[in-house]
Amino acid sequence: METVNPSRESDKMSEQSQSERFSKEVNPYYPVPAKIKKIIVETSNITTFILGGMPINFEAGQFAELTVPGIGEAPFTPSSSPYADDLEFTIMKVGRVTSALFDLREGDMVGVRGPFGKPYPLKEFKGREVFLVGGGVGFAPLRSLFLSLVHNIKDYKKIYVRYGARTPDDIVYKELIPKWQKSGKVDILLTVDVGDDSWKGSVGVVTVILDEIPVDTNDSPAIVCGPPLMMKFVTQRLVEAGFKHSNIFLSMEKNMSCGVGKCNHCRVGKFYVCKDGPVLTWQDVKGIEDPFL
Amino acid sequence: MRTYLLPSNNILEFVTKLSETGPVFYPILEDKNVHMVKFNKDKDFSPVFTKIRSVENIKHFLFPSRDVVAKFPKDRHWKSEQQFLFGIKSCDLRGIDVYDRVFLNWDPVDPIYRQRRENTTIISMDCPEPEDCCFCTLVGLNPYGESVCDINCTPLSSGLFFEIFTERGQEIIDRMPTIFKEVSKDEQKERDRIRKQAIKMLGKINDRSFKVDLSTRVENAAREVKREARSECVECHACLHVCPTCYCFLLSDHKKGKDIERVRTWDACYYAAYARVGGGANPHYDITERFWNRFLCKFSYFNQYEGFYACSGCGRCYRGCSGKIDIREILWKL
Repeated sequence: METVNPSRESDKMSEQSQSERFSKEVNPYYPVPAKIKKIIVETSNITTFILGGMPINFEAGQFAELTVPGIGEAPFTPSSSPYADDLEFTIMKVGRVTSALFDLREGDMVGVRGPFGKPYPLKEFKGREVFLVGGGVGFAPLRSLFLSLVHNIKDYKKIYVRYGARTPDDIVYKELIPKWQKSGKVDILLTVDVGDDSWKGSVGVVTVILDEIPVDTNDSPAIVCGPPLMMKFVTQRLVEAGFKHSNIFLSMEKNMSCGVGKCNHCRVGKFYVCKDGPVLTWQDVKGIEDPFL
Repeated sequence: MRTYLLPSNNILEFVTKLSETGPVFYPILEDKNVHMVKFNKDKDFSPVFTKIRSVENIKHFLFPSRDVVAKFPKDRHWKSEQQFLFGIKSCDLRGIDVYDRVFLNWDPVDPIYRQRRENTTIISMDCPEPEDCCFCTLVGLNPYGESVCDINCTPLSSGLFFEIFTERGQEIIDRMPTIFKEVSKDEQKERDRIRKQAIKMLGKINDRSFKVDLSTRVENAAREVKREARSECVECHACLHVCPTCYCFLLSDHKKGKDIERVRTWDACYYAAYARVGGGANPHYDITERFWNRFLCKFSYFNQYEGFYACSGCGRCYRGCSGKIDIREILWKL
């Protein structure tokens, strides 16, 4: 059995619609074909892939399995707004599937399965301050949430974003951040582990910009996404700051295969991250030994 | 529940007629082990109904170790043929019960499993001669079919005592009514005696029950207990691959001609890379935690989802273990 060169083979995927492909029942293992409309290089190892049209309808917090034809698939949370016309994924090159994905070009076909998992409970956030904390490429899934919040900005008191990257070059969505910051109801603070001559902001891991948390911690939801170690220390800090455990929302993406709560790979304690998550609260996982691993 | 007697002389005719609509798989004895084989009317028919379950687990029939679950660019409709599983044991019914929950009851339905399941008729058989590895009664089962099956049979001296559980089971009887007889009171008594005897034998093999709060004990097991439990484990993973209730799988994509096939293969949570993510983090990096995950999955999590253990008491894990680890000993000690 041989694997397929995605750049050749992907061209052969037809743009068959979901209803055409299976008249009687949906096969949950079959991906919907989608074309890469645009590729934006964010940093040296992070790229945004924009898929034309909206191959799946999702809500912020849900994720999808992205197929590189003949190579395999991996789970990603969209980084675009659920209200946008196109579907975007901001992806870091780390493994086999992402490496193959980075070899694709604009116009190539990929496959998308989903959406999977539960969305953020945005109704519960209404009328409250919302506190987002992201690290590295972990800011990508938060962007989808952020854009959803901004889309209905009048529903929320204020949105706070705290984001840490390794260096100024590793900051994703550089050109968008100043635009977001101009909105009166948005407060964004950035930090980098290592600065350079041009960097005027904070230096240090993301917890250095969490010394002061200007929200009502007794009432506000905090949403965290980033590398495991960052998630662990940020959660500790949020608990110290007085956030309710059920108000700390943690993005728990794990190794996933099926995405539909059957294959068992993503389980954390009794939770299937693909079905019960991918976002679980600290209340859900605090009894599990090292849930961030 | 309707009952019938299939006299010993008519068993071959019964199986022959069944095989006209699809393959019939039945147990034979070979080198002291039971194996499920496909009925062939031109070959010798020597079924063995009194021995324990087959060496191989029977999940192959519904959830094969390698299965194409999607094709693209164009998917295909799934077709499976009628098949009959004749003579499987109560422990294997527990396995099918687990798969029915995971692939049929849990949303979304797995269409490939559903096709096979709908086309599979299950005629289970009492297990009158349990062996040292057997412990179905410790996990809430009896050594005879009480659900999941379409028909359950008890091997008597005069033939097979049929008990019908589903309409599909009744239709089989109705298709060939002349080969069945009414059950006599003596045959009813013989069945009761055989069942009582089997339960008594299981009581002797397993002289202790599991604690009623087994799930909590598994969840709260101390690190030393887990480490001791896995001390003889050589990570051969046989226990998981022979298990009739394990349902972990992995999807991978492969080229087949002009198509790409998405293949589902059995996976096992003891593999070191089972939970490793692309970036290298691995929540199950430690063998002790991986070993214990099996116990958590079967005796805690699944019990929380469905109210019964994802363990059938078949003892295949014990018989197949390179280190002769007996799951009962571990659970009794908790």
